[in-house]
Amino acid sequence: MVHGLEEAAEQDPAVPKFEAAGPFARVMGGLNRLVEISSSVALVGASFVLTYAVVTRYFLHLSTDWQDEVSVFLIVGAVFMSSAAVQARRGHVGIEAIVGLLPTRVNYVRQMLVDIATFAFCAYFAWKSLLLLQEAVVEGYRTSSTWQPPLWVPYSLMTVGMLLLSLQVLLQVITALRHSSEVR
Amino acid sequence: MSVLSIGLLYGAATLLVMFAGMPIAFALGFVATLFMMLFMPEASVDTITQNVYEEMASITLLSIPLFILKGAAIGRSRAGQDLYGALHAWLHRIPGGLGIANVFACGLFAAMAGSSPATCSAIGSAGIPEMRKHGYSGGFASGLIASGGTLGILLPPSITMILYAVAAEQSLGRLFLAAIGPALFLVLLFAGYSMWRFRHEFNIAKERLKTTGATSPILQVDELSARDKFALLPRVLPFVLLLTGVMVALYGGYATPSETAGLGAVLALGLIATIYGVWKPIELSPILISTLRESTMLMLIIGMSLLYSYVMSYLHISQSAAEWIVSLQLSRWILLTMILVMVVVLGFFLPPVSIILMTAPIILPPLRAANFDLIWFGVIMTIVMEMGLIHPPVGLNLFVIKNIAPDIPLRDVVWGVLPFVALMIMAVIIMCFVPEIATWFPDHVMS
Repeated sequence: MVHGLEEAAEQDPAVPKFEAAGPFARVMGGLNRLVEISSSVALVGASFVLTYAVVTRYFLHLSTDWQDEVSVFLIVGAVFMSSAAVQARRGHVGIEAIVGLLPTRVNYVRQMLVDIATFAFCAYFAWKSLLLLQEAVVEGYRTSSTWQPPLWVPYSLMTVGMLLLSLQVLLQVITALRHSSEVR
Repeated sequence: MSVLSIGLLYGAATLLVMFAGMPIAFALGFVATLFMMLFMPEASVDTITQNVYEEMASITLLSIPLFILKGAAIGRSRAGQDLYGALHAWLHRIPGGLGIANVFACGLFAAMAGSSPATCSAIGSAGIPEMRKHGYSGGFASGLIASGGTLGILLPPSITMILYAVAAEQSLGRLFLAAIGPALFLVLLFAGYSMWRFRHEFNIAKERLKTTGATSPILQVDELSARDKFALLPRVLPFVLLLTGVMVALYGGYATPSETAGLGAVLALGLIATIYGVWKPIELSPILISTLRESTMLMLIIGMSLLYSYVMSYLHISQSAAEWIVSLQLSRWILLTMILVMVVVLGFFLPPVSIILMTAPIILPPLRAANFDLIWFGVIMTIVMEMGLIHPPVGLNLFVIKNIAPDIPLRDVVWGVLPFVALMIMAVIIMCFVPEIATWFPDHVMS
């Protein structure tokens, strides 16, 4: 991977991680855990669906038309839904080259501005996803394949996922604001 | 506003938000959305979510999380240590055989797991202590593992290659095959250097023994029996069969790349369940959660990178930049050198996924105009990005080594990897003169 970026993301943060507390944090923590478990199951499910496609095609000589799209829905859903859980551990990797050189107080302000911009983008994306979902439901959008599953399924997962992500970033902003006096 | 001004603003805004530390995925999405609002028709802003979804819903791209799952299942089991142990038992009599066993183990493991840091971690956690116990210097041992690990992004199923195939609209099957020759070539170069370096360290130790009487473990020869040689094979062979089976499924026409990924993941989970008894939810949980976290982070970067490229293309920034490069009428080798230097510089800050998706629309048209084979270039670009994994200042694999062998000073690790960086540069230069190293195999297999 390229991958393995997760290891990089787990480097010590330049700004101390503040422990989120309160009912909002507890609800988000519980939701993230639930989403992580169900999304993991979805990934394994997608692997089995694709394996099933190979087996039925070559051993049972049955043609299939739904496996690819089911896998796409499962994986895209898992990715969007778990994006908040990844954000909770600040697992979305960024460039930390300059960050480490800044004093703590400046870093705190930088992190706050970055989080606010991230929140603005994610909330906007969630809102646009909601509009797309609404349109897909009203117009009855379907994929262009022969199986033609409804598109509201992945769009709803994208909407909920981005909404959860926005809430997670908001929680991080609120938590950091509450701890502002601790930053010297 | 002219395209040049918009392009410069786009680049400056991207640099600003990225260096401010905003996660790459959100930084790309943020800048793209901002420029859509400022410079594109209002209706286009309404399609951002649809754009991102449609780009991400590519079944080829979605093989990435499943290849990560396969890699995580193998990487978090004892398969790496067993593979290394088996190769060590078979190669220990060759001078420098321990180092060569590590290089081969890295290559094989990389092909099974498809991850560079996972390869470093799995082979290095057993290989580095063993090499040091046998008198290899810390710098050499860590350099060998850090560099061997980079084969993970070159050998199939490389995620970097999957993205390049999508961005350059090239056949993934051909690209995977094109990487095999250069990967074997690198393995040979690394193994050759290991032998030479072993002899060098061996001779120093022998000289020291003569002059000071101080002995070194590097002078001792391991005695491993035939039983040792065969003991680990039953554990290792199924994984090698998995590797072969997956390749046969892909190239025998039995499965598409995404089906291969799914099949590989299921088989890898099946193997770790039967061989290592890892099947309970509590044991599988770390594998699944780490896969999910890594996949989510990568797929969001990919989705937003594609949105970023779409905006760049809509505003004619990429086309103008590509036309400008073509208009310079550089000689093809100078063009290639400049592009590769840019990839190296970007590699200081960005992961390969972002480099490929952000630069492909700009660099590929001039390369195509200069008559470069884009499959060959994909392999060259990947090797150059491999270097980014081991050279300072970022060098992801250096951090992995720091975690598994914290007592080796970073300075030694960096000095240890430099000869391997030189070998990679040499491999790139040789491949410019002998492109068949990459193109012969796919041409032969796929006509």
